[in-house]
Amino acid sequence: MSGFLQNTFNGLVGGAFYALLALGLAVIFGMLRVVNFAHGAFYMLGAFGAYVLLAEAGVPFWAALVIMPLALGLLGMVLERAVIHRLTRLDPLYNFLLTFGLTLILQDLVKSRYGVQSSPYATPAELSGTVDFGLFDFPTYRVFILGFTVLLCVAVWWVLGRTRVGMVVRAATERPELTRAFGIDVGRWVTPVFGFGIALAGLAGVLAAPMRAVNPLMGADLIIVVFAVVVIGGLGSIFGSVAAGFGIGLIQAWGEAYLSDFPIVSQTVVFVVMAAVLLWRPAGLFGREEAPA
Amino acid sequence: MRRSVGVAAASAAVLVVAGCGGGGPQSGGDQKLTGDKIVLGVLNDQSGAYSELSGRNSVKAVEMAIADFKAKYGDKAVTKNISVETADHQNKPDVANSKAQEMYDRKGVDAILDVPTSSAALKVADVAKEKKKLYFNIGAATTDLTGKSCNKYTFHYAYDTYMLAHGTGTVTTEQVGKNWYILYPNYAFGQDMEKSFSAAITAAGGQVVGKDGAPFPNTSGDYSSFLLKAPTLNPKPQVLGTMQAGAELVNVVKQYNEFKLRDKGVGLAVGLMFITDIHSLTPAALAGTTYTDAWYWNFDQQNREWADKFQKETGTRPSFAHAANYSAAMQYLEAVQAAGTDDADTVIKGLEGKEVNDLFLRNGKIRAEDHRVIHDAYLAQVKPQAEVSEPWDYVKILKTIPAAEAFRAPSADCKM
Amino acid sequence: MTSAVDTPAEESARPAPPSGLLTVARAPGWVRYALLAAGLVVALWLPNGLYPAVAVDILCWALFAVSVDLLLGFTGLMSFGHAAFWGTSAYVTGLVAIHAGLPFPAAVLAGALAAALLALPIGYLAVKRTGIYFAMVTLAFAQMVYYVANEWRSVTQGENGLQGVPREFFGADLTDDYYFYYAILPIVLLGLLAAWRIVHSPFGRVLVGIRDNPARARALGYPVHRYKLTAFVLSGFLAGLGGGLFAVGHRFVSLDVLHWTTSGKAVIVVVLGGIGTLWGGVLGAALVVRLEDWLSFSGFEAIGLVTGGIFVLVVLLFRRGIWGTVAHLLRRRRAVRRG
Repeated sequence: MSGFLQNTFNGLVGGAFYALLALGLAVIFGMLRVVNFAHGAFYMLGAFGAYVLLAEAGVPFWAALVIMPLALGLLGMVLERAVIHRLTRLDPLYNFLLTFGLTLILQDLVKSRYGVQSSPYATPAELSGTVDFGLFDFPTYRVFILGFTVLLCVAVWWVLGRTRVGMVVRAATERPELTRAFGIDVGRWVTPVFGFGIALAGLAGVLAAPMRAVNPLMGADLIIVVFAVVVIGGLGSIFGSVAAGFGIGLIQAWGEAYLSDFPIVSQTVVFVVMAAVLLWRPAGLFGREEAPA
Repeated sequence: MRRSVGVAAASAAVLVVAGCGGGGPQSGGDQKLTGDKIVLGVLNDQSGAYSELSGRNSVKAVEMAIADFKAKYGDKAVTKNISVETADHQNKPDVANSKAQEMYDRKGVDAILDVPTSSAALKVADVAKEKKKLYFNIGAATTDLTGKSCNKYTFHYAYDTYMLAHGTGTVTTEQVGKNWYILYPNYAFGQDMEKSFSAAITAAGGQVVGKDGAPFPNTSGDYSSFLLKAPTLNPKPQVLGTMQAGAELVNVVKQYNEFKLRDKGVGLAVGLMFITDIHSLTPAALAGTTYTDAWYWNFDQQNREWADKFQKETGTRPSFAHAANYSAAMQYLEAVQAAGTDDADTVIKGLEGKEVNDLFLRNGKIRAEDHRVIHDAYLAQVKPQAEVSEPWDYVKILKTIPAAEAFRAPSADCKM
Repeated sequence: MTSAVDTPAEESARPAPPSGLLTVARAPGWVRYALLAAGLVVALWLPNGLYPAVAVDILCWALFAVSVDLLLGFTGLMSFGHAAFWGTSAYVTGLVAIHAGLPFPAAVLAGALAAALLALPIGYLAVKRTGIYFAMVTLAFAQMVYYVANEWRSVTQGENGLQGVPREFFGADLTDDYYFYYAILPIVLLGLLAAWRIVHSPFGRVLVGIRDNPARARALGYPVHRYKLTAFVLSGFLAGLGGGLFAVGHRFVSLDVLHWTTSGKAVIVVVLGGIGTLWGGVLGAALVVRLEDWLSFSGFEAIGLVTGGIFVLVVLLFRRGIWGTVAHLLRRRRAVRRG
């Protein structure tokens, strides 16, 4: 029993990363119709930034947790204005390609400066212990990640539900035609929302730094799984992407723990689920079919 | 243009007639040195996962060998015209394939060095065999190079999975603990390592309480289900043997510390680790971990002096791969000097069975049977942070494993 | 019908120029023949001017690029998972060549058929979506194929790769890449011809119609999904043809052939050459393969920086690609002269 609870807990922690990344992708897609291939690269930049801040300026984890998302959010906004904006009126594929190219560039920039060897990053001392849950104990840092992510998702939920910005974003994300038809000015929120999505990716990166290898390629394979996650949740659905993120994390962790003789299961389960969802509900579990063309 | 088309048409015709001998210029046989020069080719990963532990600094190491060779022989050197060609194989075997062919055919390379990544290494062995040119593999771990894929032109220089597993498995079982839990990446390298480790542990009187193959590549980067399981096994393992390498090793070690396994009485042994890995994980995260090293820069005065020279050239301390590239280049040049020719078959005759002592090869011997280059290996243990007195001085050597024990006996699978 | 990318408003914003191919087709007869002749001469001369192994790679990648362009340029579907077909064929070709000892064209054909067979279920699911969804879905499926090949070691040899794929051809010695190039050239030309025929057939015109206005095509009674699926399978077959030749060319197969970076590279090649131009893909393949070859000997470490940088510039500034831009300029000049 305690083993099962531990594995479940782990699945939720793994899912937290998917959820943060998928949430960022979803809001960006919602506002701009851009699928940001570079999302994984920004996750990597978040982790690397935390490392560089600590190694070269002595900035601790907690400060990095604030600084990196802000810095990357700003960088995201600059990128949006400078290049992505120029392509948003075209087929969204062009921005997909553009961000794919950006991914190659960002990876190589980091690589040529810091190499491919994983960079060291220690768990902050305050969080390096374990928490005793009675039935089992669990690393404090993981408990922190889970709590922090859940809080963050609730906060985002609240902002989207209760504020004017949120309503615009939500409306634009989930009912784009209707929103435009009502004459709501979506335009001025595009850049901040893009920055916000990138900031979430950066935040996930900082959170990952103490528990995962920090290297230029850390986001490259991950992002493809996250793509599958958002397809499962429904690309336009904010709630769906978060739910699918946690769900896939859980399934992977259980698969790894109870089918460890078949590692193929935990590797491909996300794609199998995606295929099933496509057959059954092409718009994703929580997505809405948009008006037919 | 018309001539080219003619050439093309002619060759197409030749094709139809079939049975033509391979094309390309054949070198004349009598010459002492083809083109009166020696060209060494360093083909390795200069941008990916292995670029730090070998990469361009291995090119530097080979250049150092050439300089030392010239200084040693002066005017008596077989030629002064020795150069290095290098290419980045990006860890892609298809790139390695084209580059190796191009090096031998177009760049006049006499011997290719390094080539990490097993798939690329095995492919280049094929190319060497076909082109009848020398190839010293340093970067790859697969024992197939001296097993079923061995050939006359290929030498396996620095290490292999057997060496890594045998030393660590045996000595750690004797000195740290008898009960093991083995975690390995589920692909050729990891499976080889697991088998070799299990064999060594059992032979040393220990037992493998549990073993698991983790997904490879592991995109989530998470190993917690395995690390949670380890301390709950019965009997409780005293050693966690991880076969993960590179970034995956970093993940395992980070999470090993996160789950406080050392405090729970589970020590750590690592299958394959380079000094660069310790540097990136910091000695503090690895203190007490045991692994087998092929060479250590601060082992003795000779190594240290060379490491100082290396640091002047590159700004960093050498990994064993750097030292092995230096040594392989040196031994090849010495063999050409002794033979007076760069004819591959003659040079190989001189190398086979040769006993060597140099910077990298201690009590070394180039085995004729399978072209495994054997030498002393070292069981290393990472120092506690407090004992680290200078940068990069991260380990102490617990035991020197004699060359004859460090490597497996020639395999029956190898037919030259 | 499924997503926003299908909405007419966005369709009309699609910048894809009228295909360069059609432009050439509209050009006077002698221009077409001259271009064709020039292309053939270059193809025959290539291994004399380039390192033959590189020339072989260019041929294989040319087929791969054309297969991607068949979908991207003429059906409006961007597959970001075409490595699945290229790679599956490479493995099947390799296995058939090793175990059955067939002449290499037969092995390649078997590989290409296997790729087409795999394209059927993947295509069936993928064509339910369009635009960006299609790209992500194909990417995900390709990644799944990658993991299966990675785990199925008894067959694929996993990380070590499938070594020792023979170049069997009725006893002819094809070990030299120079001769091998001429041995595969006819197969590649046949593949390119097939692509050209497909594009210019009534079937191809319907595809373009679907690309430009799916709603109208549906209203006219065309079974849109089935057309797209057929195009997908044909494209998978062509990609497989290239992948099989690639396997025989390198005489081994590694997991890289299935990696998503391979899919990405194929798309880069097409965009660089010019989407919807068919021959642009061939040009793009030649440039990218040559560039990478040069970079890996140049001592320059950041290959991704160069390819990524060029790619970003093309997407931002020259969306027509090289072939498309040239065709566009020629057309404009002609128009000016006429006007």
